[in-house]
Amino acid sequence: MENATKLSSFLRSRKFQYAVIAVFLVAALPLVVKSEYIIGQVFTLMLVFAIYASSWNLLAYSGQGSLGHAAFLGIGGFASALLVVKTGMPPVAGLIVGSLVSAGIGALIGLACVRLKAWFLAMVTFGFSVIVISIMTQFDSVFGGVIGFPTTPVAPQVIPFYYATLGIAVVSILTILFVMKSKLGLAFKAIRENELEAKMTGINAGKYRLLAFVISTFFAGLAGGLYAESSLFIQNSIFEPYYSFLPLIMSVVGGLSTIEGPIIGSVIIVSINSFLPLTDKYLQPLSPLFPGVSNVGPPLRLFGLGIFLILVVIFLPKGVTSLLRKGYNYLRTDTTKTKKVEPPRKNMIASENI
Amino acid sequence: MITSSGLAQALIFGVANGCVYILLATGLNLIFGVMKLVNFAHGQLLMVGAFIAYEVTTMAGLNPYLSILVSMGSVALIGIGMEKFAFSKIRGTEKLNEIFISLGLIYVFENIARLFWVNEFSIRIPSPFVSLSVPLGEVAIGYDYIFAITIVIAILIGLVLLTKRTKIGLAMRATSQKGDAAKLMGINVNRIYLFTFAVGAALAGASGTLYGILYSFNPTVGALPTIKAFAIIILGGLGSIPGAIVGGLLYGIAESMTAYMSSGFGIAGTWQDAIAFILLIAVLIIRPTGLFGEKGE
Repeated sequence: MENATKLSSFLRSRKFQYAVIAVFLVAALPLVVKSEYIIGQVFTLMLVFAIYASSWNLLAYSGQGSLGHAAFLGIGGFASALLVVKTGMPPVAGLIVGSLVSAGIGALIGLACVRLKAWFLAMVTFGFSVIVISIMTQFDSVFGGVIGFPTTPVAPQVIPFYYATLGIAVVSILTILFVMKSKLGLAFKAIRENELEAKMTGINAGKYRLLAFVISTFFAGLAGGLYAESSLFIQNSIFEPYYSFLPLIMSVVGGLSTIEGPIIGSVIIVSINSFLPLTDKYLQPLSPLFPGVSNVGPPLRLFGLGIFLILVVIFLPKGVTSLLRKGYNYLRTDTTKTKKVEPPRKNMIASENI
Repeated sequence: MITSSGLAQALIFGVANGCVYILLATGLNLIFGVMKLVNFAHGQLLMVGAFIAYEVTTMAGLNPYLSILVSMGSVALIGIGMEKFAFSKIRGTEKLNEIFISLGLIYVFENIARLFWVNEFSIRIPSPFVSLSVPLGEVAIGYDYIFAITIVIAILIGLVLLTKRTKIGLAMRATSQKGDAAKLMGINVNRIYLFTFAVGAALAGASGTLYGILYSFNPTVGALPTIKAFAIIILGGLGSIPGAIVGGLLYGIAESMTAYMSSGFGIAGTWQDAIAFILLIAVLIIRPTGLFGEKGE
């Protein structure tokens, strides 16, 4: 009952209307942008990584910063791809079962992690992703990830797959939003802020942390399945630490512990990764400065990216979202200024006169 | 083939390998202990240290073991810069921001190195002792390994003297226990932070030089040692130098043994990196606070 009223008030809220408009705009993108490369390799990837970063962000929301989420991205990707290729399962079922496999393994790792404090947990999750690479290489005859193999997408590339990914992303992110806003999310937040106090109010911290792990790894696995399908190919490189750090970079750039942060971060980082290489040719004139290097473009632009990341965290420690929220609040207070801000001022002046 | 002499050789390689890890882990531990700061770009300081030592050795013709001093000094300066212009700016914000800024620094260091790299492949600091070794029964210990182990022991003794016998060491320990109280006692905490970071970075520079003498390296070599150094700290317990020594030796030996065994049993070479984390996870499941750790953060 309480949830139902919450839901209906949420559906009527301004934020929800903006979200619906945003989804429609994203759905209309293929009408404007005609390049198949940009839709298939940029927009689709943004959606996939929005799911992935949101899943990581949910885990961080419960106070557990994972540094090995690539393991679950890869497990989801490999499980769904292998099921489809080897058993002839339909791709949709493969995606779901792959995510469940990822969540199952996530539950096992979560069991090992629930007793651990922040950095310990980060190391165990990172270590797990390294161990998974070793297992994948050792049993390559089963997994076939060293050379890689082609995957079958849930919908034909490019446009139908884009819409399929959009639908899955909307459902996934809404689910994550409801988890964050529910009592469950409140418990996660309490544990993150102060685990001891949370325990004292009767929250079973271990149970909730494990639950956060399972939900998060489910969606990470789902993103992995979609990622493998979006590039029509999967390989062991999906387990590399780079993919573990990616959701962290996206969430921090966008704004930690917010629902829109990982989405915005994913859009920014995927855009940078896709479009920054185009600047390489403008950097070539600088090559005489660095005689030992044959191609001066990539190191120079990645150096710039590093500086950008440092500046973002120094000047926007709460992410790009905080900037957007400031702007949004400014616009709101600007239109209602005469109603809200003026009366208290008058009162103050009046009381001073007396 | 697994032989006893082969095992003994692997053991010696493991000890030397562990020594490089010990230096790196001790520096990281120092920074973490005093500043409660997680510097994921620490391994990049190792890489920069190795590169500086390589340049000094090849350009100026200095003995590689003397170039350790140059490398330590310059990496300490870089460390001061990192603390002053990056980490000090985000002190007191989200813990995850520290990892994030480290990732930015990793991009910066690796790509600066790639811009000035002499060639596109791995390089190694030339040592005049590379072909010399001491025969010991069936095995031979290279001079370089003996020097590396001796230097690590000397540096660790120096570090213990610095933290236990000097005034600034006392201030560091006070800051480590309680920064606010140390401030009230008239300690300039920010200066202690800078000094700590410089010492930690210098240790990374020294370990980088030794790394460059013993193994070949390239701009991306720093990433895994950082994580392993963290694993060592956690295994040995936070803030414990003996813990770092035990953890570092354990990892070094476990790794070189795995590498040796894998050639004998047809196991994939990637287990060499994984073994450290298998050990770590096993230890943490049994003892969530590490081998020597009293309490977590």
